[in-house]
Amino acid sequence: MISLYRPGNSPLHRLPAGRKLLLIGALILAISIYPHTLWTLGASAAIVVAAFLIAGQGLRGLWRQTRVVLPLIVFTAVFQLIFLPWMSATITTVRILLVILLAALISLTTQTSAMLDAIERALTPLSRIGVRADRIALLLALTITVIPVIISFARDIITAHRARGVRPGPRTFVVPLLVQTMRFADELGEALNARGVRS
Amino acid sequence: MTARPSFGGADLARIAVFAALIAVLGTLPAIGGGVPITAQTLGVMLAGTVLGPWRGAAAILVLELLVLAGLPLLAGGRGGAGVFVSPSVGYLIGWIAGVIVIGLIVRADRRRPTILRTSVGVVLGGIVTIYAFGIPFQAGITGLTLGQTALSSLVFLPGDLIKAAITVALTLALWRAYPRAFGQSSRRPSATVGSVNTSAADAPATTEPRG
Repeated sequence: MISLYRPGNSPLHRLPAGRKLLLIGALILAISIYPHTLWTLGASAAIVVAAFLIAGQGLRGLWRQTRVVLPLIVFTAVFQLIFLPWMSATITTVRILLVILLAALISLTTQTSAMLDAIERALTPLSRIGVRADRIALLLALTITVIPVIISFARDIITAHRARGVRPGPRTFVVPLLVQTMRFADELGEALNARGVRS
Repeated sequence: MTARPSFGGADLARIAVFAALIAVLGTLPAIGGGVPITAQTLGVMLAGTVLGPWRGAAAILVLELLVLAGLPLLAGGRGGAGVFVSPSVGYLIGWIAGVIVIGLIVRADRRRPTILRTSVGVVLGGIVTIYAFGIPFQAGITGLTLGQTALSSLVFLPGDLIKAAITVALTLALWRAYPRAFGQSSRRPSATVGSVNTSAADAPATTEPRG
């Protein structure tokens, strides 16, 4: 499973997931609600660039993340420019980009397993209203192991189509994929029940 | 995953497998010929029609928690915490509510899903409900008014209507090909046995996927 995580040994990598979430979350909140001028926006941008450099992501890492959200940013910018004066359109668009980049930094510097543990810990207090954090953690782990299985189903169907010269479409592709997937779910369910997994 | 809709092993398996399916549909190149349509929202709507409201919503929640944990499982390889602070976060919340609405309407009784009820459910849940969550969040984050934001999201409406239509066709086709897929929650064993048996008799279990 490919994760967004980029291994490293920066201060941000070493920070525990929970504290990192709080720290970057606070920064995101501050940048989001502050009534920016071009100057404070520039300062915020400098903070984001510095954070990427500290995290060992470099300017290339910064650009890579920017490129991923570029369609969204362009879409936002177009409608900002249609409805708002260019100054506030620029400030809003850049602010949105900065906030997304900061949040991406969490995922770039935190291993998926550490984030999953943090999520489980965050959900544990909800046991009072009946949320079973351990059950959710099991579901998340189960889903991660199932994804490659579904990918292999999809590949088989595409290969079979190619061999027969069938043009893949929603019905010829998704219906067989759904059937195989739900069959697999039934087998998996029996296996879980046989091992006494019940809530 | 609260105490009230309590899930057995079969439910957990369906939730996990469907969450994985939605993720895989998001990685596929766009299907549908001329109009580029990512298949991910198809998966979201299908979660409601196939799994029903609660297991369907749980599947979406599982997918989104994995995205939050740093896996790029959304269409186009997007993922990570950044998704949850972007202007489109409301649509992700809307997915959960939308699937519940779809499930409640389409799976109101245990009978075979009709075109009419499935269409109404998919449009109300998969489009109206999702936009009803998506637009206010987008407006709040971008600073535009609700009207202006609604206008900007009209861009996506034709694609979403096509996906809704495809979802209806896929749901009915799945019912013919593998009615067991719609199996009831293991919460009500007495009802489950009846409905699964009759529907399994409609189409023999030997129906192979045309893959």
